[in-house]
Amino acid sequence: MKATYLRWTLAIAACLAVVAALWPSEAGSPEEKAALEAGRVIITYWDRHTGHEFDERKVLIDEFNASQSEVYVRALPIGFTMEKLLTSIAGRTPPDILSTEGTILAALAPQHCVMPLDRFIEESESVDPEDFFPHVWRAVTFSGHTWGIPVTTDSICLLWNKTAFRRAGLDPERPPRTMTELLEYANRLTVRDETGLKQIGFLPWLPWDHTHMWGGLFGGEWFDDASGRFVCGDDPHIIAMFRWMQSFSIDPDAPAQLPYALNPEMVAAFRTGFGAYQSANNPFYSGKVAMTQEGEWQASFIARYAPELDWGVAPLPQPEGAPPRCYSPTCVLDMIPAGAPHPEAAWKYIEWFNSPRPGGRPSPASDYNRAICNIPCRRADVMHERFLGDPALSVFVNELLTKETPVFPVTPVAQFFIDQVERERELVTLRQKTPEQAARAIEDSANAELDRILAIMRRDQP
Amino acid sequence: MTRIERRNLRNGILFALPYLIGGTVFMVYPLVMSVYYSLCHYNIITPATFAGLDNYRVLFSHDEVFWKSVYNTLYFTAFSVPLSLILAIGLAVLLNQAVKGLSVFRTVFFLPTIVPIVASAVLWLWVLNPESGLINGMLRAFLHIEGPGWIADVQWSKPSLILMSLWAVGGPMVIFLAGLADVPAVLYEAAEIDGAGPWQKFRNVTLPMLTPTILFNLVMGLIAAFQYFTQVYVMTAGKGTPADSTMFYALYLYRNSFVYLKMGYASAMALLLFLVILAATAGVLASSKRWVHYHGE
Repeated sequence: MKATYLRWTLAIAACLAVVAALWPSEAGSPEEKAALEAGRVIITYWDRHTGHEFDERKVLIDEFNASQSEVYVRALPIGFTMEKLLTSIAGRTPPDILSTEGTILAALAPQHCVMPLDRFIEESESVDPEDFFPHVWRAVTFSGHTWGIPVTTDSICLLWNKTAFRRAGLDPERPPRTMTELLEYANRLTVRDETGLKQIGFLPWLPWDHTHMWGGLFGGEWFDDASGRFVCGDDPHIIAMFRWMQSFSIDPDAPAQLPYALNPEMVAAFRTGFGAYQSANNPFYSGKVAMTQEGEWQASFIARYAPELDWGVAPLPQPEGAPPRCYSPTCVLDMIPAGAPHPEAAWKYIEWFNSPRPGGRPSPASDYNRAICNIPCRRADVMHERFLGDPALSVFVNELLTKETPVFPVTPVAQFFIDQVERERELVTLRQKTPEQAARAIEDSANAELDRILAIMRRDQP
Repeated sequence: MTRIERRNLRNGILFALPYLIGGTVFMVYPLVMSVYYSLCHYNIITPATFAGLDNYRVLFSHDEVFWKSVYNTLYFTAFSVPLSLILAIGLAVLLNQAVKGLSVFRTVFFLPTIVPIVASAVLWLWVLNPESGLINGMLRAFLHIEGPGWIADVQWSKPSLILMSLWAVGGPMVIFLAGLADVPAVLYEAAEIDGAGPWQKFRNVTLPMLTPTILFNLVMGLIAAFQYFTQVYVMTAGKGTPADSTMFYALYLYRNSFVYLKMGYASAMALLLFLVILAATAGVLASSKRWVHYHGE
């Protein structure tokens, strides 16, 4: 009997020992242990970027950790996973700082999950709203508060394959400058043979659906920032843009086809034949697509995956009479979730990251953007040799510096809206809907969804 | 109750306790709460507010994509479930013959079932690739015809997924094999004495004796088809493209909950799915009295 009790006690003790050994400790590494012992506050940073981009951020975070003795940042490459974010906020264990997409901020902030940064910004000597590009600052400032600090943004331009231009008898150094030229070039660069499509000249929904961007470049307005409502339903520019998109797919009823018009099914087929985006088989690198619309990150991607590619970059052509515009798809920002345990310490890091270093040296945010080949959100950071002096990057950057950048809709239904735009574009190019029907459907469905969400939010207000 | 009975009861409960606790916390509670949340506006973050039948009203009268997802799911179920059953029975009968290397064949046909779903989805993305994929490559080489765009083509995307689902019939096939082993040899002998040929033996002995197995596989197949998610999530990056032609019910449910943060709405969808599966299963079971034959009956 005694032996049985002894055995049980031992078994239970062993179980407890395993649990104790596996119990999560506050310090995850020897550095964190040292930081804890030194009385520093450990804060958690969830990075939206992963892979080599996270490695670059880690270098800067290590610099921050070494630069002072009060705060220690523990960085985790979480990526963009809504599930984790939601459950951490609902479970009241959010990270101290969350790096995330600008598009979801307007959905999260009204639900009281984001801490306003107004007080910190007012007291800060180095973070000044005036320094930032207006379109990214607008993305983080609404309902009378500022909810995050934008860190990286993008700019979309026209990229062309000079070898394909040469083969088509075009001047490889002269990209199309007008819409008419763009279509003319697309005609000459679209190559077919008896087995089918060999090369796409230009297709406005490759590699990503950029319908939202083209609406703006055509001079259209999807969203009225003042009223917070979608207004694209009767916008002649949006409808013209959809008609232009539709011209890229063959019209079975038309007597003659434009050379650049493609059979949507064949495009779909051709498209799935493309290799992975981040690989040497990217259709633009492998010469399957002669002209494309891409962001500044390609300057580093091409160097990495297709160093042999002979390519150029130019502003995207706009239709005649359209106001000079460029396109920047919102931003990646740092925010402090509501209920974060150490907001003061979190701000200390955010402020450090977005302020110039002593002696007028560029800010860590500038270093970071340069390292991952993105565009900083502060104008002052952009106005630097490392961005303006790089021939590939400067074209992208100059777009933001010289043209009007439409604001990405600041609304809790931004994702829903973008999904509707993609859906309707698909239906238009498959000729299941007319451009007019598509524009109307987007406005109606997005506004209806917005009304539902707003009604729920109003009801939730105490 | 004697001392021993009491002790047995206590021990029994103790041993079942991990499941009872786990089952309550992770199954019963979420199930009950999702019924409640389906009547609420809820986004996980802020407390749920009661909204009556609002979610259902919007679902039925204002959501085109919902109906599209219902159609896609029914289409997939209507084709994939019967075809899988027919193919699995056919394979099982073939693999039940006494031929050389039988275990090799059985392994080969079962193999796809143990490939992780995500891996097989990525693999099929390559097989169905219109440009460089295996299928269109063979169509081009042997039949000199250009194959369709498969998963990228509005007309072909659902048939592609049905084709894919047929690749993984190894699971039901093995169950049918077990069912075939259960058919008493005397019945075949009796049939032979009566002069039955192979087809008549299959039609009048094998098939009736397999009906309990068919019933089981039919019910499991229906449930799996109604909840079809992983493959299409992987193959279309969670978007149900092209033109919503692969927006399946479970995928749309997922998008509502984790992309649009409409947990209440998604709960309503989940409850409807639960009821549909329940009704379908009950229907099949009720009808089974008429077509399922058990041994000794």
